Amino acid sequence: MTATSAGSAPAMRGRSTGLSLRRLGRAALFLIPGLAVYGTFLLGPMVYSARISFYDWNIVDPTRSEPVGLGNYARAIADPVFRRAVVNTLVYTLVTVPGQIVVGVAMALLLNQAIRGRAFFRVLYYLPVITPWVIVTLLFEYMFVGQGGLVNWLLRDVLGVIQQNVLWLADPILTFVPIHLLGIWKGVGWTAIIALAGLQAIPQDLLDVASVDGATPVARFRHITLPLLRPVLVFLVVVLVIGGLNAYISNLLITDGGNPLDRTHFVLTLMYEATFTRLDFGYGAAISYLLAAFVFMVSVVQIRLLRRRVEL
Amino acid sequence: MRSKTPQALAVLLTLALLVAACGQAAETTTTTTTAAPATTAAPATTAAPVTTAAPEAVTISYWHTMSDPETAQLEHVVAAFEESNPGITVETTRYAYDDFKAALLTAIAGGEAPDTARLDIIWVPEFAELGALLQLDGTMPGFDEIAASVFPGPLATNHWQGHYYGLPQNTNTQVLLWNRELFDAAGLTGPPQTLAELADVSCQLSSGEEQYGYALGGTYFWAPAPVFYSIGGQVVDEGVTTASGYVNGEASVAAMQLFSDLYNQGCLSPNLLGGGIGTSDGHATGLYAMITDGPWMVDIYEGSYPDFEVNFSLMPTGPDGSTSSVVGGEDLVVFADTDQQEAGLQWAAHLLSEETQLTMAEVGVIPTLSALAGDAALPPYFDIFMQQLETAQARVPHPRWSDMDNAINNAFQRVLRAEQTPQEALDQAAEEINTLLSQ
Repeated sequence: MTATSAGSAPAMRGRSTGLSLRRLGRAALFLIPGLAVYGTFLLGPMVYSARISFYDWNIVDPTRSEPVGLGNYARAIADPVFRRAVVNTLVYTLVTVPGQIVVGVAMALLLNQAIRGRAFFRVLYYLPVITPWVIVTLLFEYMFVGQGGLVNWLLRDVLGVIQQNVLWLADPILTFVPIHLLGIWKGVGWTAIIALAGLQAIPQDLLDVASVDGATPVARFRHITLPLLRPVLVFLVVVLVIGGLNAYISNLLITDGGNPLDRTHFVLTLMYEATFTRLDFGYGAAISYLLAAFVFMVSVVQIRLLRRRVEL
Repeated sequence: MRSKTPQALAVLLTLALLVAACGQAAETTTTTTTAAPATTAAPATTAAPVTTAAPEAVTISYWHTMSDPETAQLEHVVAAFEESNPGITVETTRYAYDDFKAALLTAIAGGEAPDTARLDIIWVPEFAELGALLQLDGTMPGFDEIAASVFPGPLATNHWQGHYYGLPQNTNTQVLLWNRELFDAAGLTGPPQTLAELADVSCQLSSGEEQYGYALGGTYFWAPAPVFYSIGGQVVDEGVTTASGYVNGEASVAAMQLFSDLYNQGCLSPNLLGGGIGTSDGHATGLYAMITDGPWMVDIYEGSYPDFEVNFSLMPTGPDGSTSSVVGGEDLVVFADTDQQEAGLQWAAHLLSEETQLTMAEVGVIPTLSALAGDAALPPYFDIFMQQLETAQARVPHPRWSDMDNAINNAFQRVLRAEQTPQEALDQAAEEINTLLSQ
């Protein structure tokens, strides 16, 4: 592996130094359509919402908006509902990212075996990923209904671990049980497919040699599979963390805007509520910028820390 | 030659994108222009001469959140309007209630607001303050006449800073629904007449997790409001200047105490905290003996529980012997940005006509025209709602009402969770509402 990459590197370098203005012009022609779309639909709105975040914005007549400087940002940082939302979002990320990775990798290991109906299981495990969020969220909400409900029935009538119905969705902590479970359940299929691709790139010879030398399956996993899977795991962590911090739909539907007591918001649901329920566009824009800054910082730190030992 | 191909390709791609963008813009304009003559052309076989003779054809949009039966009925209303106003086409768009506000805001911000819409009465001050709505007094021909013909309560929900920004299209309120079967089984002869009786009966009809005497849909203000107002509770003073002494006044605290006691005794279903079984299903299946709800329940039960017998009763009276409830409903508004103001106002007048109001009443929509009270053509179950409306009260007409509602909602939650006493919780709510009033 090393030999090949070392051999191709100088060739690549030689070609890239030949970059001329003419070539750049031609590249620009190709880039323009993409950049135009990016500028119109992403960059433009981003800059515009940055501007909104410094105003007490009037959506109907923007000229009537009053500049408030960093007021919206200061308000967010002092707002207990926002702080709680930040904590909830972080906890969600800390629970669902390891959850998805552990279960996903375990599933990938199983799917990597020569078992009957392997293709069928691969499709089956991937199904939650392609199911719309709204539908599965409503399904989870239905399962966790506080009076009766499938989960209560299971815990009370079948397993006998609770005496009384639990009002899952009425409790600011227990509400997160379905939200976290859903986050893991819906994500593992994707995690498993990515991990599976990583597993299949691991040379079988290495594993065979290790078994000949008497390594147990656990030892083989720890000393061969896991280290070689590391680049894939790093990729998964970075992508899943960004996804976790941006979680939105399941929370919006289950808590219906921070219920109970505005204690169950995620950062994005609070942003949505501030903007579209309270018409506080400046505040909503400030929240989205705070989140964007945080996600950017986390991603930079993650890539720096993890890159040391892994080439991404 | 080789280098030309990618260049040409890139140019082609850019062009394709541009064409696609322009094409889309063109499409929207053509639909509006072709749609209009089509209506005038419809009665005649030759289109061209008719269009020149007929008044200029216009299309107005109307956004709403009606139920299935209401939407079906609306088609008749539109047909009648288009027939009597040749040249005007009404394009109706239906939204889910929860998405409606966001959809309207997005449209307003993008300069694509509809010409007219049916808004929840509590949103009118909010949109009026944004400057999105057309002031109707002094603008709409015959406004004073129409305003004088509707119930004053619903009309007041359109009032913001000295002017009217809408007309009450329909009204409603909540009354008590009681499950006769459960009452009979407990040996009770009829629904409670006073709030004290309501409390007793609620406990009499409760048994563990199997049955609750009374249930509320949630802790948002609409749910406890009928009892809150019947007991004499108030949110703010008449001039909408302060909440101190009102939302945390004696009667308001007593209302909160009543709910708290019932909940702690197991006589009020815990579903109001969230994530339980809804009141309409629970009431029909015998889980909740009593609920408070609106006139639409007749149609809902006809659809999902056709055998269930719906029984309405006036809200039980409070300590001063009077009954009350909360006014709900929708207002018809015309948007300030409309370029079809005249046609929009004609449509508004049509929606407020006796003919339209009677048509919509067939599917459970209560009219706002006072002349129709007691009309033989109205469904008999309207009587009790009309009677309750006489004393029903409107929520605070203020652009920040949603936030005030949230403050009361949270206070109610803290009481039920025993985090605060009713007095403490409502003192906090009063402070929060005062802050909102001062903004």
